[in-house]
Amino acid sequence: MTATEAAPSTQAVRATPTTQRRPTGRRRRLPFAKTFVTFLLLPLCALMVFPFVWLLLTSLRDRNTVFSGPFFPHSFTGSAYANAWTSIGFPLHFWNSLWITTATVVGVTIFATLSGYAFAKLDFPFKNTLYLLLLTTLMMPATALIIPLYLELKSLGLLNTQVGLLVLYVSGSAPFSMFLMRAFFSTLPDELIEAARVDGSGELSIFARVVLPLARPGVATVVIFQFLQTWNEFLMANTVLQDTDKLPLQPVLFTLTGQYSTDWPTLTAGLVLSIIPVVVVYVRMQNQFVAGMTLGAVK
Amino acid sequence: MPTSSGGRLGSRLKRSQRLAGYLFVLPTLLLFLAFVGWPIVQTIYLSLSRWSGFGTKTFIGVDNYTRMAGDPVAHRALLVTLVFTAATTILQTVVGMVVAVLVNMVWRKVGIVVRTILFIPGIVSFVVTGVLWKLIYDPNVGTLNQILGSIGLESLQHTWLADRATVLPALIAVAVWGGVGMNMLIFFAGIQGIDPGLYEAAEVDGAGPFQRFFNITVPQLRVVTGIVVSLGLLNGFKVFDIIYVMTAGGPNHASEVFGTYLYNLAFGSTSGALPQLGYASAFSVVVMVLCILAVVVQMAITRRGER
Repeated sequence: MTATEAAPSTQAVRATPTTQRRPTGRRRRLPFAKTFVTFLLLPLCALMVFPFVWLLLTSLRDRNTVFSGPFFPHSFTGSAYANAWTSIGFPLHFWNSLWITTATVVGVTIFATLSGYAFAKLDFPFKNTLYLLLLTTLMMPATALIIPLYLELKSLGLLNTQVGLLVLYVSGSAPFSMFLMRAFFSTLPDELIEAARVDGSGELSIFARVVLPLARPGVATVVIFQFLQTWNEFLMANTVLQDTDKLPLQPVLFTLTGQYSTDWPTLTAGLVLSIIPVVVVYVRMQNQFVAGMTLGAVK
Repeated sequence: MPTSSGGRLGSRLKRSQRLAGYLFVLPTLLLFLAFVGWPIVQTIYLSLSRWSGFGTKTFIGVDNYTRMAGDPVAHRALLVTLVFTAATTILQTVVGMVVAVLVNMVWRKVGIVVRTILFIPGIVSFVVTGVLWKLIYDPNVGTLNQILGSIGLESLQHTWLADRATVLPALIAVAVWGGVGMNMLIFFAGIQGIDPGLYEAAEVDGAGPFQRFFNITVPQLRVVTGIVVSLGLLNGFKVFDIIYVMTAGGPNHASEVFGTYLYNLAFGSTSGALPQLGYASAFSVVVMVLCILAVVVQMAITRRGER
């Protein structure tokens, strides 16, 4: 929303420096075009944001005015948050989500950096075959594998355990992050690694001391991407875990729709609380995330 | 990569490199074999069997696939999956590209703000998106019908998710709302890679904005478009969360897709019926084949772009 108010003032300040040298007739038309396009984008932004504004307002309403009151409530109350926090056991499920997500991120990052580096910079037989084999994971959706995975966890005694879910998360996600890391490691110069090798460093110490410190931006991307993915995952969590106290947030939020079908403030307060971590991560680390997503998609 | 230092040192380096290569790849490879590779084989095998998860597994050849051919729900799921996939892919690609071009035209700072806003729906889970929009679509007290009523458009009010005619468009709209930001970002990155000289030359030749869009931007974005289309197809064929949360395939299978149908066959025995793991796996195989096709399409587009 600040975009609109900023637009006219930035227009005056920025018009001259940002426009490249063009025939004089065109220079005057350009700010008009920019203003016009900005106004075109406004309704779109409103459409994207409106559901979230509505969500927030509903969660702050008094329960009696949800279905009748005006769009902007006259008074705000946080009681729905207190209710969501205690009655659905929010802290427990939040903690489940947090530790499973963190452990997945750590596991994926370790496996993906090691294998991504090997595929980018080391030379070994059947390298390309193995790489392509691992990449088939990228076209295997959870819906296609969920039945055998369920049976497999059952026979391993890992069904209805958070460790079982964790194993599925790491194995299903590592190849994509490996793919991102390989693209990233390929951009590092070979001479760097050659020099360390000639100095007598072992391969593992080259990886840990020379390569990994340089790969921080790539690792950051993998961490953020993986965090959002795992935090938001629903299908596997809903299938593998059966005991309510083991569930992470997404399956719990899903069951809330039935339980709180008429108590919208509590329901929406639960949704808002569950979004906070992803919004924090996204806002704080947006640049790395966008860079990584587009790198992954374009390479 | 041959090492420059020859002789014994070179071969020792090569050997240690080979060993390290395998060791570094090993953990990922083992996890892959156990929890991706083996399940792929199992899905195919299960799809050729009849099994409820208990008792004996019976090998029945392609019976599950012939059963699919005569199952009206399977026909509906095929139709809905294809319609959903086509609609979301086309809308997300076209809107994503146009918006990326528009965002690229405004002032840098405005562009950053707009990009951030447009991507917000893409970071929340489909469960949150689904629940949120279910409330908005609520026929009695939902915001959509309230807004329509307050501006005098009562005639457009619907029981959005309970009406066979509106349930699919309603779901597609939500999926596009959630997915278009991602495509916009990918296209935006692609636009940054286009040689600005092309636009300058076109402008000198007197090409208008629409001519520049269709004659420069669109062809230059061919490879990126291939990726976006392929991602759209993949996401469409495997769709599950958003539909399961919002309608669970209803009303009366009107929004049933492969994902929701196979999930209900395998895990959703609400009526007390035995799980049909074999028949459900046949749908898994179909989803798998469709997803592989989506990637093949992308590779074909990319290769044609390189030629």
